[in-house]
Amino acid sequence: MLVALLSSQYPRFAALAESWLALGATAFGIWQEGRPLVYWPAGHRLVKPALVAPIARGDQELGDLRVAGLSGIAYERRLRADAQLISYLLQLENELQLMTADLVTSQDQQLALYRLTHAMRDHVTVDETLEAIVAEAVRMVKAESGYAMFVPGADQEPLLVQQPAGTLHDEQAWRLYWQGQARERELQLPETAGDLKDQGVFNLLHVPIRVRGAVMAGLGLLNRPGGFDAPAIKLTRAIADQASAQIERMLLYQERFHQAKLRTEMELARRVQLELLPRSLPRVPGLDIYANSRPAYQVGGDFFDFICAEGRPFVFSIGDVTGKGLSAALLMTMTRTAIHSKAQFMPCPTPEAVMRQSNEDLYNDFTRVGVFATAFVGQYAPGNQKLTYANAGHSPVIYRPRDGEPMLLRADSTAIGILPVSHCRNQMLRMAPGDLLIVATDGFSEARAPDEELFGVERLLELVEQLHTGDARQIAASLFDATDSFCQGQEQDDDQTLVVIKGAAS
Amino acid sequence: MDMKTRVTGEVNVVELSGRFDTNTVPPVAAWLEQVTSTPGARVLVNLASTTFVDSTALAILVQALKRCQQLQGDLFLCGLRRPVYVIFELTRLDKAFNIFVDEEHALRAFSN
Repeated sequence: MLVALLSSQYPRFAALAESWLALGATAFGIWQEGRPLVYWPAGHRLVKPALVAPIARGDQELGDLRVAGLSGIAYERRLRADAQLISYLLQLENELQLMTADLVTSQDQQLALYRLTHAMRDHVTVDETLEAIVAEAVRMVKAESGYAMFVPGADQEPLLVQQPAGTLHDEQAWRLYWQGQARERELQLPETAGDLKDQGVFNLLHVPIRVRGAVMAGLGLLNRPGGFDAPAIKLTRAIADQASAQIERMLLYQERFHQAKLRTEMELARRVQLELLPRSLPRVPGLDIYANSRPAYQVGGDFFDFICAEGRPFVFSIGDVTGKGLSAALLMTMTRTAIHSKAQFMPCPTPEAVMRQSNEDLYNDFTRVGVFATAFVGQYAPGNQKLTYANAGHSPVIYRPRDGEPMLLRADSTAIGILPVSHCRNQMLRMAPGDLLIVATDGFSEARAPDEELFGVERLLELVEQLHTGDARQIAASLFDATDSFCQGQEQDDDQTLVVIKGAAS
Repeated sequence: MDMKTRVTGEVNVVELSGRFDTNTVPPVAAWLEQVTSTPGARVLVNLASTTFVDSTALAILVQALKRCQQLQGDLFLCGLRRPVYVIFELTRLDKAFNIFVDEEHALRAFSN
């Protein structure tokens, strides 16, 4: 250090020497550790000086000033003052160097933190993020190894990553996590942690990480040469803060991703459901037919279908598969297809036969996935003004004869997929002009008002009584309007599907 | 809705009071899933104080019944009030379930 100062301030030291020589000194020089560093005039090494004053920094002696040819208290004081001035200069120089070093370290750390943020941007899972945090923290703090953990919500597994793997036993790492959580501040190698020392851990720093206001994660670094001093702790805290921000960003990303996935699934389910519905209403002599389905936001498994084949009786079906979303839409497709193919290709497709065969086909699959489907199948051959139907657990079904009160029709068998054998029987209804059949799904009877009251079958029966004079389309539109106004803008819980059939003049 | 569970002999009993519907189904579904997953489980759902059952609740009961039967167990219902019984009749679920007038008759049937 003294050499460095001499090099940078040589002309000033030379001027100091000249002033001493001018006072009458025969020589002036600077020594360090018993050897001369510089002396004036050349050739006089000041082995035996008359005056000596030490140059020191604190208690440490760095060298001395020497003068030959002068003596006395006044010269001695002056030389000591010169030495003290040089000592002070050295101290300033030293502080400047330390400040510069701190500044460089701080810049390095800022750069490293920037790189850390940048490096973590690409990670979209908690695992990847924790791996990146540990790798960067170990590198930046110059520790030998590290670990990080994250404890998400109750329905997810806690995560722990270690680099290199197996540095600590998992339970040791989790013990540190819980200690950090309890203290809510960093902790160093606990004195009682004999088992950690046995595993070659000679120093350790664990920093709890707050996520969304609570300690939900932690970062630990092990075996830093020289221990975890204040700058190392400060840097690790800064890394933990970055980790906290990154975990929060990633959780937000995952939530948005999950919501988008759910929206996509719902959209797909809605499209499957709507695409499979008949695009036009059938024209059947003697019947006025209208049908419509309105999927809820959380799509259910409603469907209706018409089977009109040349030379065969007209068949229609309506059904509701339990559950919501894409799975309900897929199972609805299976049910609709099973009924459709039987009604279209069976030799004698009576509703009873269609239902029994469909139950047989679907029972095992439905049992495996734990669902069932209510279904109503009706068949009408023009001419005899009679509608044959079979009802597998479907409700509400309302029949209003032209000269009577509306009545609820009971199912004749359980829904498809509940019992291995269907007990469906063909039932008959008169379908002369004015007779009215409304087959709806529970999205109508269970429509909710904001105060949680249900629309209920009684209201449906009353409405049918009021509306029975209209045509099929008007009746359906009024039923949709009535449930809408009952729900007062409340989001539709379940699909609403109905088929309205009214006897008409052929 | 209020839900009370207990074990009587070898039978897991749940008493449901009030409305058993979409809003109140989750804890009942969780309990049923737990008790019906044991082979040979005997489960009794007492609906004596249940005022209403919707389609979601029916679906949960049917799922529990089928899961129970697959594992050689059984699930009975008892104490259905008239409005609730009508819902079972309308959908013909009265044919799928063993329904008893009260808990005593149901427990006796389990022991036979």
